[in-house]
Amino acid sequence: MWVNMGPQHPMTHGLWNLRVKIDGELIVDVDPEVGYLHRGIEKISEDRHYNEIITLMDRCCYVAGIAWEHVYIGAAENALHITAPERAQWLRVMCDELQRLASHIMWYAAFVQDLGLMSPFLYGMRDRDLILDLFQSFTGGRLTYEYNRVGGVRNDVPSGFTDRCRKVMDWLMDRFVEYDRLCLGSEIFRRRCDGLGVLKAKECVDLGVTGPMLRSAGVARDLRKDRPYAVYDRVEFDVAKADAADVTARYLVRMEEMRQSVRIVRQTLDWLDHHPGPVLADHLPRWLGAPYAPMGNEGYLLKRNFPRGTGFAAVEEPHGEAQAYVVNTGGEHPYRTKFRSPVFVNLSAAKHYMIGYRVADIPPIMGSVDICVGEVDR
Amino acid sequence: MATAEAAPPPKSSGENPILYVAKPLATAARQFMKSLIRPSTIVYPFERLEDPAFRDKVAVAAGKPIGVGHVWDNYRGVHALNIATCISCNLCAFSCPDLCIDMVTVPGGDPKHPKKCPQIDYGKCSYCGFCSDACPEGCLTMTTKYELATPKRSEMVYSPQKMNEIFERKLPMNPIRVERPSNEDAILLDVPLCIGCNACARDCPTQCITMLDIPKPTPKPGEKLPKRIWKEPVINDSDCVRCGTCISVCPKECLFWGTHT
Repeated sequence: MWVNMGPQHPMTHGLWNLRVKIDGELIVDVDPEVGYLHRGIEKISEDRHYNEIITLMDRCCYVAGIAWEHVYIGAAENALHITAPERAQWLRVMCDELQRLASHIMWYAAFVQDLGLMSPFLYGMRDRDLILDLFQSFTGGRLTYEYNRVGGVRNDVPSGFTDRCRKVMDWLMDRFVEYDRLCLGSEIFRRRCDGLGVLKAKECVDLGVTGPMLRSAGVARDLRKDRPYAVYDRVEFDVAKADAADVTARYLVRMEEMRQSVRIVRQTLDWLDHHPGPVLADHLPRWLGAPYAPMGNEGYLLKRNFPRGTGFAAVEEPHGEAQAYVVNTGGEHPYRTKFRSPVFVNLSAAKHYMIGYRVADIPPIMGSVDICVGEVDR
Repeated sequence: MATAEAAPPPKSSGENPILYVAKPLATAARQFMKSLIRPSTIVYPFERLEDPAFRDKVAVAAGKPIGVGHVWDNYRGVHALNIATCISCNLCAFSCPDLCIDMVTVPGGDPKHPKKCPQIDYGKCSYCGFCSDACPEGCLTMTTKYELATPKRSEMVYSPQKMNEIFERKLPMNPIRVERPSNEDAILLDVPLCIGCNACARDCPTQCITMLDIPKPTPKPGEKLPKRIWKEPVINDSDCVRCGTCISVCPKECLFWGTHT
């Protein structure tokens, strides 16, 4: 019998539909249906100026906005042959890691709620708010940051920010202990999650599954180490991995990643304290200069000989490997953009980690995938 | 594809079932006791995160490290507009990615060149802040006001006067200003194309363009002089806000962006 779990269902975390074929309590077949949240971001991007696409990227994934900004900005800077100043790169790394913390804490809150635990959900939302406060103190937004610009970032962090950030990091490190005590220390949690949703390393690699799901299968694949972008080759951290490839392993990987993120954030704060400098590149093309409006008169474009090119960037987003491709044909707008969402791939592999389990196991398994429908459908 | 065989149930660790509940409950109880002294929530309509008088109290009351949890001045909320200093340069409307800014006429300009100020449709606005970044005079800023609920959709459109009222309320303004780059492009003139029509000087919002007389050349025998007014625009770069109005009104497309060499 086919059962629709979604589009409105507490398990789905957004608008998508999981069709499940069941035989009694046993899952025989699954069929994820996405597309309910499609906004055509790639098409809209063709009609926007390079900086204006940043506003779309924040809405691409609503829990990892600044990571998606980084994906797009990396590709756009490659396409436009612009290099951001060093301080801007460090700021981007700091933002990425703060965003990873916020995203993983949000995942923790939603995941444990899928299991029926209410208190950890409240703790998670409370702690994530601190990171949003930090973001707001220098970007001005709590969810949609619009912080990156082609050629750097909008503004420097205000004075006193690094001390506040260190306080929050210390505070969070104490909270992680509590999270583990609530979940790993609980026999109910272990019995509910151990051995569920197993997706082994070979299948992960075959299906293109990335991020914490791949690392929970014992593959130490992390773009921050394997293909360092920004200044990730200058910070010290370990790649979190586990071997069991089940739901508990994904929990462990994400918890360890949060601790590593705190470690990276502390290193970037130390660097930012001692290296003041510009955060926006000089000699930007006219319509990319930060405070400026681009002009609609095409006549002047013909008089400027502007470099063309294509840009590609891959970033280890909280959910996995996000990639962007931007084609610049010398105009104000990109000719074409393409984004690769990690969650779309992780979700598409549902057949391989859902079949054989019980209906009651669907919320924990799907929760452990960390679905953000905003970036699945784009 | 995986086969549809039931997975084996996970093994028990042989713990006493009472501990299943007791261990997490101990952690939760500790948090509960803390929250009795310092609750994590605030009573929203009566206590506000952005209230300056309330800031330190909120941070302590919400159980947060002090100096972290409140709404900062650079929050991107509803705009405040100072009509008196607005120069009608159109930069905010040009920079808007959502095309939610219309330039509407406000009283106070001379009849030939009416003063136009931004009117923002908050039903479309995405609060990206590009407009206030683009504003050369700093008259369009974003405030910490965030309550927008109205009974009618048409009331989401804020007229310049309405935004001026918000300005007069002296809410905290966004303190972070984006600096203009030192090597910005200037507006250059393609001299042979210019016909001296005065359109650029007429429409310049900052009045930084002056039309200077240029000598009329004496035609060689048989040569025909072009039909034009013998004047040429000279742009005062320090006053220019780079809005590009002159470029868009130029009938001959003889003004363009470039760098002085």
